[in-house]
Amino acid sequence: MQKFIRHLCVSAISLVMAAGVARAEDEIRIGVIYPLTGAAASTGVELKAAAELAAAVVNKEIPAPPGLVAGVGLPNLKGAKIKLVFGDHQGNPQVGATEAERLITQEHVVALLGCYFSNVTATASQVAERYGVPFLNGSSSSTPLSQRGFKWFFRTSPHDDLFVANFFEFFKDMEKTKGAKLKTLALFNENTLWGGETTKLETRLAEEQGYTVAEKILYPAKTTQMTSEVQRLKAASPEVVMQSSYLGDAILAMKTYKELGFTPAMLMANDAGFSDSEFLKTLGKDGDFILSREVWSLDLAEKNPLIRQVNDMMKERNKINFTGNSSREFTAIAVIADALNRAGSTAPEALRKALSETDIPGSATIMPWKGIKFDQTGQNTLGSGIIVQVQNGQYVTVWPFDVATKDVVYPMPAWDRR
Amino acid sequence: MKNLKSGNIGLACLATVVVLSFPLLVTQPTYQNFAILVLMAAQLGVAWNILGGYAGQVSLGHAVFFGIGAYTSSMLVTHAGLSPWFGMLAGGVVTSLFALAIGWPCFRLKGHYFAMATIAVAEIMQVVISNWDYLEGAIGIYLPMAPSGFKAFVFTSKIPYYYIALGLLLFSLLVNLAIERSHVGYYLRAIKDEPEAARSLGVSLTRYKLVAIAASSFLTAMGGTLYAQKELFIDPPSMLSTQLSIKIALIAILGGVGTLFGPVVGAIVLITIEEMSRIYFGSSGQGTDMIIYGAIIIVVAVYSPSGLIGLWRQAKGALPFWRAAAPQAKVGEPS
Repeated sequence: MQKFIRHLCVSAISLVMAAGVARAEDEIRIGVIYPLTGAAASTGVELKAAAELAAAVVNKEIPAPPGLVAGVGLPNLKGAKIKLVFGDHQGNPQVGATEAERLITQEHVVALLGCYFSNVTATASQVAERYGVPFLNGSSSSTPLSQRGFKWFFRTSPHDDLFVANFFEFFKDMEKTKGAKLKTLALFNENTLWGGETTKLETRLAEEQGYTVAEKILYPAKTTQMTSEVQRLKAASPEVVMQSSYLGDAILAMKTYKELGFTPAMLMANDAGFSDSEFLKTLGKDGDFILSREVWSLDLAEKNPLIRQVNDMMKERNKINFTGNSSREFTAIAVIADALNRAGSTAPEALRKALSETDIPGSATIMPWKGIKFDQTGQNTLGSGIIVQVQNGQYVTVWPFDVATKDVVYPMPAWDRR
Repeated sequence: MKNLKSGNIGLACLATVVVLSFPLLVTQPTYQNFAILVLMAAQLGVAWNILGGYAGQVSLGHAVFFGIGAYTSSMLVTHAGLSPWFGMLAGGVVTSLFALAIGWPCFRLKGHYFAMATIAVAEIMQVVISNWDYLEGAIGIYLPMAPSGFKAFVFTSKIPYYYIALGLLLFSLLVNLAIERSHVGYYLRAIKDEPEAARSLGVSLTRYKLVAIAASSFLTAMGGTLYAQKELFIDPPSMLSTQLSIKIALIAILGGVGTLFGPVVGAIVLITIEEMSRIYFGSSGQGTDMIIYGAIIIVVAVYSPSGLIGLWRQAKGALPFWRAAAPQAKVGEPS
C-alpha cells in the first residue's frame, strides 16, 4: 500500500511537471473529450483522427487546400500552434464532467470540444459553464442542450428538431421545383423514445405547415411481422411515408412493402436503420429509391473539391474516409481556430466573444451547410441535414439542391416496374 | 472497538484530521473531485454491503435504487420546487418501498437466481424510465445550476460536496455499525451462513432480508440524490445501467464483503485505478486503460478472494510495519 501511494505521488508530481514543461509560450491548448474506450470507442478513434487532422492543418503541418477556413491558421496570434489534449469519457456523463474539470484546471485548456454523446455533453459543458471556458459541441443532436441559457456553450451541428424540420423544407422544395404533390403523410415510426419524439414533432410540423396526416402507426422495433401495419398504410394511400426504424425493422418493412405491392410516391426515412451498411447488403436492389436524412455523405465531394481534398488527406493519414460524425468534429476544430485567430488572444471572454461573432460561409467548410453563425443560445443557425437517396445501390445526395450530386427519382417506381 | 491500542488511537485521530482537512489543504479541484468520487463510491459500496455482505444476498441491480433515489429528488426539484434535501429523504422512502415490493418475491430465490432477478429488475426499470415521458424519458432531466447554496444543494465550489459526501459515508457506516452490533446483524450473518439453522431457531428469513434491503436501498438512494445534485444531469443510461450495478458490487467485493471498512478500501483502490489508468492511458484511444484496470481486478480476485481487507489481515501478522501504518486499524475486527 505504501509503495502504491508513493507511486501515486510520484506520478502526480510528474504529471504536474510534465504539464509545466510542455506548456511552451506559443502553444494553445484545447481540450477534446471523446468516447475513446467503451462501446463507442471505434467512433471516438475516428473523431480523434479528424480532430488531429484539423489541428495539423491549422498548424500548417500539412498544406491546406485554398479556401478552407482551417487553413488560415493563427496569424493574429503570431503563428502560434494549437495543441489538442484528449480526454476519454467512456460514454459516462460523470467521467465526462471529471475529464472536463481536469482539462480545465490541470491542463489549462482555453476551450473544450466534444463530447459526441448528448448526455456527456450535458455534464461536461456544465463544468465549462461554471469555469467560464468556451465549450464548442460539434456532433451532439439532443435539442435541449442549446436551450439551457448557457453563456459559454456553442453548437455547430444541427439538432434533432432541425433534422425533422428539414423533411418539411424538402417537401416544400419538391413541390416548388418538381411539381410533386406531397400533401398526405403517413407516419410509421418505432415506438421507443426516438420514434415517439419524432412522431410528436412530425405531427406538429405537419399541422403547422398544412399537411394531412392520414395514418400514424407506432410499432415495436423488435416485431417479427408487419403485414397488418403495412395493410393499414396501404389503405390510407399516403403520398409520403415518413419512417423512423432501426435496422431489423427497416429491412422487414421493405420486404413487407414488396410482398404487399405497396409503393408510396415517396419513402422518407429518418437515418438509423436505413443508412446502416447492412441495410443495402441485405436488401440489394430492393433498397433502391428510398430517401433518408443524413448529416453528411462522401459523394458531396463530387461538387465540393474541398471535401475531396480534405478526405484525401484523411485517407492518406488514417486510411479512412470521413463520416457524418468525423466531418463535424473536423469542422468544430476549424471553428475554434477561426475564433482564436479573430480574438487574437486566448483570454476566455475574448474567445467567447469571437465565437459568438463567428460567420463562416459554408463554402469554406467541408459541411453541406449554408455556414456557421451562432444565435443567442449558441446554436448554429445555418446548419442543416442533407437528404440522400439510394440509386443503383449507392447513397447519393439529392437535397439541398445546391449541393446535390444526383437528381431525386420521384415518384418511387412501383415494385413491378423496376 | 475492544482491541484498540493507544498507537491505533493516535493513528485514528491523525486519519480523522487528514480526512476532515483534506479539501482545505488540497485546493486543486481535480484532486478534490477525485476525493469526492472516492467518498461517493465508498458510500454506495457500504450501502450495498448491508444486503450483499452481511445478509449474503448478492444484488447486481443496485443501480435501480440509485436511479429511483435520484429521479425522485430531481422530479421534486424540477416539478415541485422542493429542496433536494427533502428529496433525498423522499427518494430514500420511495426507494425502500420499491425495494420491499421487489424483495418480497425475489427473496424466494436463492444464490445466483437472486442475483439474476436483481439484474432483470434493473434492466426493466431502465427500459420503463427510458420510455416514461413524465420523467423526460431517454432525454434525461437537467437540474438547474442556479440558485446555488445550501438549501438548493448546488455549489460552485467542490468543498461542500466533499463534506456532504463524507457525511453521507459516515452516516452509512454508522447504519452498518448499528446493524452489525444489533441482533439484526447476528440474524443476517446467521441467514447468510446457515439459513436452515437460522430458520430452525425461529429467525424469519424473509423479514430480516427485507430489513436489509430496505436499509441498503435507502442509503443507495441517498447516494443517487448526491450524484444528481453534483452532476446536475441524470438520464437512464447513467443512472440505471447494469455496469453501474456491477461497479457498486465490485467496490464491496474488492474491498472485502461483510466487513465495515472493506467497501471504503475497495472504493479507494478501484477509483484510483479507474482515474489514474484513464488519465495516463485513456487519451491514446487504444483501450490501454481498460486492459490495466481489468488486469488489476483479476489479480486482486485471484490472490485475494476475501478482498483487500482479507489480504491485509493476512499480511498484518507477517509484516509488523503494516500494523502500525494502516489507518484502518482504528476499528479492529468487525465481529
